Amino acid sequence: MSIWNYVVTAHKPTNVTHSCVGNFTSSGELNLIIAKCTRIEIHLLSPQGLQPMLDVPIYGRIATLELFRPHGETQDLLFIATERYKFCVLQWDAETSELITRAMGDVSDRIGRPTDNGQIGIIDPECRLIGLHLYDGLFKVIPFDNKGQLKEAFNIRLEELQVLDIKFLYGCSKPTIVVLYQDNKDARHVKTYEVSLKDKDFVEGPWSQNNLDNGAALLIPVPPPLCGVLIIGEETIVYCSANAFKAIPIKPSITRAYGRVDSDGSRYLLGDYNGLLQLLVITHEKEKVTGLKIELLGETSIASTISYLDNAVVYIGSSYGDSQLIKLNMHPDAKGSYVEVLERYVNLGPIVDFCVVDLERQGQGQVVTCSGAYKDGSLRVVRNGIGINEQASVELQGIKGMWSLRSSTEDAFDTFLVVSFISETRILAMNMEDELEETEIEGFCSEVQTLFCHDAVYNQLVQVTSSSVRLVSSITRELRNEWNAPAGYSINVATANATQVLLATGGGHLVYLEIGDGVLTEVKHSQLEYEVSCLDINPIGENPSYSQLAVVGMWTDISVRLFSLPDLNLITKEPLGGEIIPRSVLLCAFEGISYLLCALGDGHLLNFLLNTTTGELTDRKKISLGTQPITLRTFSSKNTTYVFAASDRPTVIYSSNKKLLYSNVNLKEVSHMCPFNTAAFPDSLAIAKEGELTIGTIDDIQKLHIRSILLGEQPRRICHQEQSRTFAICSVKYNQSGGDESEMHVIRLLDDQTFDFISTYPLDTFEYGCSILSCSFSDDSSVYYCVGTAYVLPEESEPTKGRILVFMVEDGKLQLIAEKETKGAVYSLNAFNGKLLAAINQKIQLYKWMLRDDGSRELQSECGHHGHILALYVQTRGDFIVVGDLMKSISLLIYKHEEGAIEERARDYNANWMSAVEILDDDVYLGAENSFNIFTVRKNSEGATDEERGRLDVVGEYHLGEFINRFRHGSLVMRLPDSDVGQIPTVIFGSVNGVIGVIASLPHEQYVFLEKLQTSLRKVIKGVGGLSHEHWRSFNNEKKTVEAKNFLDGDLIESFLDLNRSKMDEIAKQMGVSVEELCKRVEDLTRLH
Amino acid sequence: MWREIGDREAGKIRPNAFANRFKRNRIESLQLSNHKDIVSAHRGSINSLQVDLTEGRYLLSGASDASVAAYDVQRPTEYEGNGIIGKHKCLFVVDRTHESGHQYAVSSAVWYPIDTGLFVTGSYDYHINVWDTNTTQVVTNFKMPGKVYKTAMSSLATSHMLIAAGTEDVQVRLCDIASGALAHTLSGHRDGVMTVEWSSSSEWVLVTGGCDGAIRFWDIRRAGCFLVLDQSQSQLGRRPPILDRSATNKVSSSKSSSPSPNLPVKARAAQRKLSNGSSMKQSPIAKIPAKGPLRQRLHPGMLSAQDRATAHYGAVTGLKVTEDGMHLLSAGSDSRLRLWDVESGRNTLVNFETVRLQTSKPMQLATSQNSALVFVPCMTTVKAFDMWSGRTDLTFRGHYECVNCCYFSFQDQELYTGGNDRQILVWSPSRLVYDEMDEGPHQDQDNWSD
Repeated sequence: MSIWNYVVTAHKPTNVTHSCVGNFTSSGELNLIIAKCTRIEIHLLSPQGLQPMLDVPIYGRIATLELFRPHGETQDLLFIATERYKFCVLQWDAETSELITRAMGDVSDRIGRPTDNGQIGIIDPECRLIGLHLYDGLFKVIPFDNKGQLKEAFNIRLEELQVLDIKFLYGCSKPTIVVLYQDNKDARHVKTYEVSLKDKDFVEGPWSQNNLDNGAALLIPVPPPLCGVLIIGEETIVYCSANAFKAIPIKPSITRAYGRVDSDGSRYLLGDYNGLLQLLVITHEKEKVTGLKIELLGETSIASTISYLDNAVVYIGSSYGDSQLIKLNMHPDAKGSYVEVLERYVNLGPIVDFCVVDLERQGQGQVVTCSGAYKDGSLRVVRNGIGINEQASVELQGIKGMWSLRSSTEDAFDTFLVVSFISETRILAMNMEDELEETEIEGFCSEVQTLFCHDAVYNQLVQVTSSSVRLVSSITRELRNEWNAPAGYSINVATANATQVLLATGGGHLVYLEIGDGVLTEVKHSQLEYEVSCLDINPIGENPSYSQLAVVGMWTDISVRLFSLPDLNLITKEPLGGEIIPRSVLLCAFEGISYLLCALGDGHLLNFLLNTTTGELTDRKKISLGTQPITLRTFSSKNTTYVFAASDRPTVIYSSNKKLLYSNVNLKEVSHMCPFNTAAFPDSLAIAKEGELTIGTIDDIQKLHIRSILLGEQPRRICHQEQSRTFAICSVKYNQSGGDESEMHVIRLLDDQTFDFISTYPLDTFEYGCSILSCSFSDDSSVYYCVGTAYVLPEESEPTKGRILVFMVEDGKLQLIAEKETKGAVYSLNAFNGKLLAAINQKIQLYKWMLRDDGSRELQSECGHHGHILALYVQTRGDFIVVGDLMKSISLLIYKHEEGAIEERARDYNANWMSAVEILDDDVYLGAENSFNIFTVRKNSEGATDEERGRLDVVGEYHLGEFINRFRHGSLVMRLPDSDVGQIPTVIFGSVNGVIGVIASLPHEQYVFLEKLQTSLRKVIKGVGGLSHEHWRSFNNEKKTVEAKNFLDGDLIESFLDLNRSKMDEIAKQMGVSVEELCKRVEDLTRLH
Repeated sequence: MWREIGDREAGKIRPNAFANRFKRNRIESLQLSNHKDIVSAHRGSINSLQVDLTEGRYLLSGASDASVAAYDVQRPTEYEGNGIIGKHKCLFVVDRTHESGHQYAVSSAVWYPIDTGLFVTGSYDYHINVWDTNTTQVVTNFKMPGKVYKTAMSSLATSHMLIAAGTEDVQVRLCDIASGALAHTLSGHRDGVMTVEWSSSSEWVLVTGGCDGAIRFWDIRRAGCFLVLDQSQSQLGRRPPILDRSATNKVSSSKSSSPSPNLPVKARAAQRKLSNGSSMKQSPIAKIPAKGPLRQRLHPGMLSAQDRATAHYGAVTGLKVTEDGMHLLSAGSDSRLRLWDVESGRNTLVNFETVRLQTSKPMQLATSQNSALVFVPCMTTVKAFDMWSGRTDLTFRGHYECVNCCYFSFQDQELYTGGNDRQILVWSPSRLVYDEMDEGPHQDQDNWSD
């Protein structure tokens, strides 16, 4: 890899952090607005459900999202503040369906220190001011003027340092805030202040309340007529106002989110950290509050935000599980729950760990993530591919072939679907009700297996069986002519097009027939030296119904041969090499280029460039698509030609920019496929798979497909072992039985196909699984799972004891082979020169795998290296060890074989708090840190002095805005030897917000070109709310802010493709290249993910 | 820690809160380092310590034997004790023998804030020298009218390169490195100036403490000082209550019945009463809110009573502004430590538990991350006080004679102290020693029977 990197999002953030409901797009429309950390989505509530209207990136991490309506406005405005102290006010422009920026600004201060508990942004219900709590001890006020415009902001000193929540009270003549805070002695109180805009200061508020529940952390202001505030604690809920105080005890729980049900503020939904949804009711007589009531409604995902929409429909936004749309029913269901889940919205966040596996060994990675938290923990299998939208399916076992036929030559749509079985052929047809029903074509022979079918000229149909070729009228459905195989021979393989039939019988006989009006003419016969395994005469020349070429795949000598038609002269013979016979051959043309595709019995596919005049085959390439024999078939969708390769890993082959591209289809084992373009299901495919016949359409783009495996517990670490075809995970189960909560830590073994738990190894009490690795050792052929653990005792601030457990998978069970006690938490494990390298607290420790006298094995420590604060993340390459320290950035160690010692070679002296590291190449290392930045450092082996050589130079810096937990080498797309993109090395990352991204190392020339493009795009694509892209991507932490370097924002660059033509022209002009060239280059990049 | 790391991974705790919590834990466990040892190159008492601001890597020390030395605190020169104890020897030392070295005690040694290419020393030989670090040659020097007590450069400055110098003389001098000339002098103190400190929120604001007991705030773009701290100015008016409190009788009664908070809490509450928190970066003069019972007016029209206000009885020996720019700490020869609210200039009355401070010399104070603790040399010990309550949180005993200076490294959460015993001690977060020893042969075990 290189230092010039391209960062792009493959899967957008899905962690819902904020949501609000209001009339944003029009005074009559109700909108749900969702913030997913760095994106906002605007939905419209319609009788059909939620309709997405807009999904835009925000150049910042959203800290506050609030709707408000200034005086005199008919619809709501949206206030957004970002974690880097920018704010903007957005309005919907109904004409262009775009967001327009009403106001924007910077609210950062030189003094004060950022709050630990996160930023608070609130808007006065009377719209007199916006209040922000960004720094301890300061309350920032942005006043509105009479016209609803924002005026200059000012700070008010806030005495309370540990603020937990601030809200505006309703119904106050002057804007009044209520502050929930903790004092020096950890007691919690609330206090009110009036904001005096004239004096720019606080005035003591109308009331205060001391010594609340120790867990009080949330304030809910109650609207008129009741007014006052609800204080939600862990054991009590208190209603408090100037003249009332009501409290009720609740079952201990931590409330995470609330949503107001009625506009009069008498009912609230509360969501807690276990995903329980409760209804809180304020009982009142007129305006006098008489009490509180709470009722459990049921269970949802763990809510981070709750928005009551309408008609008992509620949106539950979640950070730890899938977000949901739920309906609250009047009556409980059988389990006593009032909650009915209407819809789930997939959320991958937080991605705590993941692994990239190629389960099908075809060069395309799938990502398996440890997602979610608490009870919403899950594994997600993320895979790139083309999706099939299933429209109909029937159960049908043993399909041996399928062809679609038209009822007349002129008909634009297919009518019949011929399905062949081992001893019969059945014909399905679309009836008047657009249903598929079984029918008959009298002229067809239905008692035997059909080898091939095709539409033919003159309203005829061709059916080839093992004994004959039948020509049938598609109008009368009667047999018009039949060609019988010579006695003693049966037809093995056959193919046809509208005017030609080519078939092969046993003994290597190749027979060529031509179709006339009611006649089948045997034009040529030829005998080959070996049996024919497959053949094709798909017309790719000028004449769409007549082929000049025939291609034949041979047994025994394993070759493909090209013959000219009609004379069956051998033009080319191409030996394939190897021992696997060709199973399917296909002539096809993409974008005016002719190809010969040849699929082998072991799942490999060969492709050749075909010169149609000379028959010359050039540019041979071989890739693996699966492990089973492949059947090739062409189909077209939206006027583009595709080839479908049916196998255990169905693949669609197409061409873009004159390159062949391969895309997985999101289906398991497909045995046969044929296009089935009917009036009811246009552009559809009929697909035979696993005892089922499915009709469906195909996505026109490939995208990520996510399979969720809900665990009910939180997976923390995952790794895959190819040999045993298993995954192993470290996982935590939270139990809430009987009021007290306990955690149970286990190692689980899962089948890599079904994801069933096949074995579980429980860890000791207080023992946590910290790291997991599949590896083998020198002088031992077995493969092991190694697990690093820590004993986390409540009285210890840092673990002082842990274990390394070595397991072997035997009979589907985890067998403990060896264990080694350590003096601390085993944060990381790596396979290293046939040994095991562990990071234990401050130390890097190398273990040998030793054979004891009694034949058992043990880990024996060999050497170590001290000097880290906490060595959390370790990667190795050869003898090099790259350590990501908790707070001391990246250091490079080297293992010296002769001395058997590990020494420090170099280090980055910046104080980065690391969250992940990866080695890009021998010299360049990638790190992610605590303030949502990524950076690269380079080893300086050429340095003149020891000091220079001992320093890792920072070569790239970039603000990603995502907290990365893991980097892994790998790719989400198929890596093909013949594409440029295939040469670009990539690293995948996973973040807390559920983002899966790709970092690709570009050649310098391409980097420079794209950097220029990025600069041009910054001028054309303006950030929502006027936020600056340059500022957003600048590396920023406590110590410094510097411009991004040597990283490019792929999301911005790829948004070029979404621009309208005139803007594209403008940019192309600036760049000095044609729009087509630009599109092509950017499109190529989109294929990285 | 593993639990917190897990919470950070899952997004249950904010990354910055995670880092702050971890730093706090580390600071609480500060003790004499068992793995880092600075080999002092000095033969006189250590007067000044500072780690560079760019990389947090090079410690600069100035001592009474007229020597200045620099140490790499990140990379030990050698290891001892099974590779566990890192010895940090000085990278260079300049002393009297150097052609342009100081002749008398070095009272102050500070890095150029932008990079480690330069450092500045002030000495009792009346000179301030600016050194090129790589060649250890003097680049510029400034002659002062008396012993130099303290030099300081602003870490925020982007538009000036001024060294502020406090000397025996009553005037504070600003030396411009860019031109090599004295930029200007600040007059107001009535006695020598022991300590100078730049504001952490504005590059133009300088705070000075004199032997006359006064602490003065200067905006160096303007003539004269704009604020003199007065130790007797402490009571701030409460925020005006709203008139109609009848509705709140229940609450107010609960308030009045609650026992009066102890002094530190009250003091802290008091200091935060007033003022808008607008930053001082533009013009502090214009920003002083026109309210409160008493307002300083500006020099030269400043009332003489205000101009004569004192912050300490006796000399002001140490000053330290907090990281967030909202408070100032001062130490005086009256053995008092005071915390001031910068915005209003009020004494917060935080009662720092009885400290006995060295009175004759300037002292260097330090604050911890987030200004939670203040490290103060108290004779032979160093104490860490809680900033808001004044309680002693930690006591560091290790020096044999009086401690003169402390420096707290934010980056490593390490405390460096230097004293008259010529030692530079490192106080670092405790490391589990047995972790270091594990796996190794047990040669360190003694063979004594009980």
